[in-house]
Amino acid sequence: MDLLHLLNQGLFWFFVVMTVVSAIVVVFSQRVIYSAFALLFTFFGVAALYLFLAADFLAASQVLIYVGGILTLIIFGVFLTAKIYTMDIPQQTHQRYLALLPVVAMLGLLTYGLFTADWKTVTPAAEPTTKDLGQLLLTTYLVPFEVASVLLLAALIGAVRLARPMQEEDRD
Amino acid sequence: MDLSRFNLITIATPLVLGAGVLLVMLVDLLSGRANRRPAQLAALAVVLAAAAVCLATWNTGGVSFFGQVSGDGFASFFNLIFLAVAFLVILAGPAYLERNAIHFGEYYSLVLVSVMGMAFMAAGTNLLVIFLGLETMSLALYVLAGFNPARQSSNEASLKYLLLGSFATGFLVFGIALVYGQIGSTDLARFSAYLAGAGDPFAGYMGAGVALLLIGLTFKMAVVPFHFWSPDVYDGAPTVVSAFMSAAPKAAAFAAALRIFYAPAESLGLPWERILWILAALTMTVGNLSALNQASIKRMLAYSSVAHAGYLLLGILAGNELGAAGILFYLASYVFMNVGAFTVAWMVNRRGEGRYDLGDFAQLGFRRPLLAAMMSVFMLGLIGIPPLAGFFGKLYVFTAAVQAGYVWLVVIAVLNSAVSVFYYLRVMVIMYMRENEALKDVDRIPATFAAVAACALMVILLGLIPGSVLDVARAAVASMP
Repeated sequence: MDLLHLLNQGLFWFFVVMTVVSAIVVVFSQRVIYSAFALLFTFFGVAALYLFLAADFLAASQVLIYVGGILTLIIFGVFLTAKIYTMDIPQQTHQRYLALLPVVAMLGLLTYGLFTADWKTVTPAAEPTTKDLGQLLLTTYLVPFEVASVLLLAALIGAVRLARPMQEEDRD
Repeated sequence: MDLSRFNLITIATPLVLGAGVLLVMLVDLLSGRANRRPAQLAALAVVLAAAAVCLATWNTGGVSFFGQVSGDGFASFFNLIFLAVAFLVILAGPAYLERNAIHFGEYYSLVLVSVMGMAFMAAGTNLLVIFLGLETMSLALYVLAGFNPARQSSNEASLKYLLLGSFATGFLVFGIALVYGQIGSTDLARFSAYLAGAGDPFAGYMGAGVALLLIGLTFKMAVVPFHFWSPDVYDGAPTVVSAFMSAAPKAAAFAAALRIFYAPAESLGLPWERILWILAALTMTVGNLSALNQASIKRMLAYSSVAHAGYLLLGILAGNELGAAGILFYLASYVFMNVGAFTVAWMVNRRGEGRYDLGDFAQLGFRRPLLAAMMSVFMLGLIGIPPLAGFFGKLYVFTAAVQAGYVWLVVIAVLNSAVSVFYYLRVMVIMYMRENEALKDVDRIPATFAAVAACALMVILLGLIPGSVLDVARAAVASMP
């Protein structure tokens, strides 16, 4: 029991450190490609933290959408960019001091929340969350679910418009 | 299963619009490559059908779909505003799009999708629905801003709006997540109940949550200091799109803000009032002062719309019934003035898309007296000269703010209105007094002219019967759950 608990704690902190360190690399790395790879670890770490919260579906979709999506993006990026390792893609931070103001304000608000929030704890159910989520999506959250599909339709129409050539060639 | 929980009447108007989007795409597909007229007519028919449905189901919806949406008079009132704007830009648009060789059928479907998103923002009684509506609206606008890929400034406008807009959306979602973390729900009724019952409304994550919600919404309203995108985007986007963007999304953002903050305004207390006070004062002042020396009419109108967001914030700050109803009336008149002014701006533009110089208006008063007279109506309406609708909008919102005790802020607002006289009147001075610069004549475009005339007529009409429109607005506000 104690050993299991220790292992659990160890794994948790491992993922916490992995997430935070890779997030720092994302922000401070000078090369885009390093940032992108580090982002992969950040997303994976967040997915692991979701598992610790017993949110299995969320973790799975995090891996599928973010980890999968980002990986594909990087591969395509490498495909399409010649000399990506040697190319100097500028990634500087501008207005460092001005940005400090909202960042500190945000950090202050969140830290204040951390200490004053009324933390709710639930005992995680032993069964997977997918059944409950599915039922909620087709009852309580039916309207948001459908609006999200319209959102995707809008994205599709927009993407088609932007990707098509300016002058439509005649095909007869 | 209890089917009465799925009351389709509550979302009838956006449903018609959603079906309309598909219909317009189908019509456009079937009508050959060079002919966009059927798509335009289909889009106009869809908007009219949606307006008819909106009027037929006025305030009959009530809360439905497990508390997600409410088809009350408030939603109906805003739907009618959005649909009017959509009708005008669809009617006026083709001439502009033809002139720039960007007449594609997607223009119509994107405008309709965007309006559908706005309808959900106005009807949502759950933060999730409001967020998804806002995203649907914005996504269509990002593409519409970049609708002229041949022009660099259009691409720049699209990219700038996309990047900053996604960032603002991030704030909004983070805010929603924090509110959920604090109260365990995204339902607005629970939100106001929590705030009413809490001793300290900003305890825990509520402070950060409310602040982030406010940032997300004020970005869409173009409130200072989140306004930096608006002059560049309005200036770079195709002008028909600027007309649409400066009117309808702003109304939608205020609709969402009223939905979220009207009921719990009282319990939010002092810090909330101070923040809104500062935002309103800053927005009015920065907007008006920046508009003073703009050479481009598009940039001038962009800064003017920033200033108007500041006046409108007074209604939110007042937090009383007149304030909310005043915002509804103000927006109903403001959208017509803005759509009209932007449309006249591209009609008289004779130096190509790259330059929207105020000098284009020279001698307009003698060459096209009717067009100049209508532009004067828009300018005087934006100042708030008594017989026009703009005056009553300001009157109601300012009165509400005085009633709520914000006398100094109203003094600032009135002083700002006085400053704004300068740049609005300058347009009229140029139209009637400046010498002819031997410019090309202004094209005669019947459909566009009709759209501008409809705008001018509405500005005058709303100024003739302000009382009865305000009564409708009051009833709409009272019908909110």
